[in-house]
Amino acid sequence: MNAVLFTKELKRNRKNTLIWTAIVLAFTLMILSIYPSFSHMGEDMVKLMSSLPEEYAKAFGMDEATWSSIIGFYATYYGIYITLLMGIYTASTGATIIGKEERDGTAEFLLTRPISRGSVAGTKLAVLGALFIIVYLVQTLVAVIGMNLFGSEIAWEAMVAMHIHGFFLIAFFTAAGVLMGSFLSVKLNYMGPIVGMIFGSYFLNAIASASDAVDWLAYLSPYHYLPLTLDKGSLEPNLLACGVIAAITAMLVWIGYSRYLKRDIIG
Amino acid sequence: MVLLPLPEGAEKMTIFPDVDALMREEVCSKFNGMWVQCVVFWKGIQPTSAMNIIETQSLSKFYGKERGITDVTISVKQGEIFGFIGPNGAGKSTTIRTLLGLLAPSSGEAKLFGQSILENGHELRRRIGYLPSEVDYYAEMTSRELLEYHANIYGLENAGEKIRELAHYFELDLDRPIADLSFGNKKKCAIIQSVVHEPELLILDEPTSGLDPLMQNRFFELLESRNAKGATIFFSSHILSEIQRLCDSAAIIRGGEITAVEDITTLLAKQMKKVRLVLESDAKVELPEGAQNQEWLGNKVLFDYVGPTKDLLQWLGRQEVVDLTLSEPDLESIFMNYYRR
Repeated sequence: MNAVLFTKELKRNRKNTLIWTAIVLAFTLMILSIYPSFSHMGEDMVKLMSSLPEEYAKAFGMDEATWSSIIGFYATYYGIYITLLMGIYTASTGATIIGKEERDGTAEFLLTRPISRGSVAGTKLAVLGALFIIVYLVQTLVAVIGMNLFGSEIAWEAMVAMHIHGFFLIAFFTAAGVLMGSFLSVKLNYMGPIVGMIFGSYFLNAIASASDAVDWLAYLSPYHYLPLTLDKGSLEPNLLACGVIAAITAMLVWIGYSRYLKRDIIG
Repeated sequence: MVLLPLPEGAEKMTIFPDVDALMREEVCSKFNGMWVQCVVFWKGIQPTSAMNIIETQSLSKFYGKERGITDVTISVKQGEIFGFIGPNGAGKSTTIRTLLGLLAPSSGEAKLFGQSILENGHELRRRIGYLPSEVDYYAEMTSRELLEYHANIYGLENAGEKIRELAHYFELDLDRPIADLSFGNKKKCAIIQSVVHEPELLILDEPTSGLDPLMQNRFFELLESRNAKGATIFFSSHILSEIQRLCDSAAIIRGGEITAVEDITTLLAKQMKKVRLVLESDAKVELPEGAQNQEWLGNKVLFDYVGPTKDLLQWLGRQEVVDLTLSEPDLESIFMNYYRR
């Protein structure tokens, strides 16, 4: 890893990271801040929501716990909004952090300095990892603060399990972004394929949850292996799935990294 | 360049540029065996003992099925200024990018300092300064920030003073954002980054594009000074006069293939000149041997000339000349005339 490049890359991604972090935090606080108004409705809200089609409620992981505790409420929206937003940010950063130099024409400058390609790619991936962890930790911290502000007490076990699953899910999407960036043209706008991949994963799982006829679709989605919503008010970490997803994540990053080492730098 | 063997305790170097063979012998006999190291430059003669700094063997690069370069074999010796000349799209930049390891060769090999750039690129690039033809730098940085970033990567200490000196020499405002610089000023920034770490090998790809004549001249002086200190220079251009001014020898590339590798004296002898004459009378005169493609219009004649310049001047001296223009033909004309395959 090259310290000079690491510092420069952090600086270069600062603005984009601040914008995305602000968006994620705004969503987190917005979700938590509206919980009290739902909870004050108490039984009426539970009755109202029970009138929703069962398939719809299943698809989005809504059950009684969604309305009766802040962790249930947060879990529903953590899956829908937070992991999607964070996944889009880190996957798009992963797709562009290496290729951006080629797209902007600065790869020629960088790769004719006395830094190996392995060091360039490794440093940029380290920056990506650092940005991911910073955003992830800040969001978790703000979620905990928000729950304390707007809820009564935090179900720590479910909260920890949810955020562990969220961590590995987002890491997986990030690695998929890195892989995408190493194989596709640097001139491509990656946002479309990335949003498609993440939303597609989410909705595959949602559709499979809603209908037994297509429940096999769930196997195609990482959300199935790393659930974010509560089951009867609780959630336990699936450590086996975390390990398998982590291994796949590492493999995707390695393939992307290896591909970058051999890629022709055209412009 | 010839380095004479030095006696023990030698510590001073004297440089004698562009001496002819006779003077070279005189200088060498004067200093040989004394405590002065004599470094002698002369054009048209290649040193035989110096190592190859650049060496390619049947180097080819294809972009899919599209041709980049085919079977490029060249060698550039230590201390040489080597021209690499060819029209746009001939394969100059592809060759350079392959030399630098930005492109992986389809076949053949490229060595710098006797080592493969693909295996030892990290260390080799420390010894290289590269000036690209298109300057794309981090738009959000100023020139100073870019050059400091460059110096930090190289681990240069006290680079600030050198950067300031070079910026002053090239009249570059270091504190303007790169995005706001003209192409010429970006090029100046690129020149500074290519030399500030005092590389042993300078690889220059169309280095003068965007520079005004004054800056071109300063740049050439800088190159000559670096070469005098021992730097090897690989100079890619499509402008023949630049190659003539600076280089000891040159390779000509066309259609991705090396058409010829010549020393500059031979290249000059083969060079065609375009001659435009206005004579006192309308009477047609016999043109000198080597004239071709003549066009007469009253007392004006336009023709291409290939042959010794001395013969042309002697012929001109015998004519009643009112006006004369001698110009360099475009590169494609040279290729068409002398390197037709």
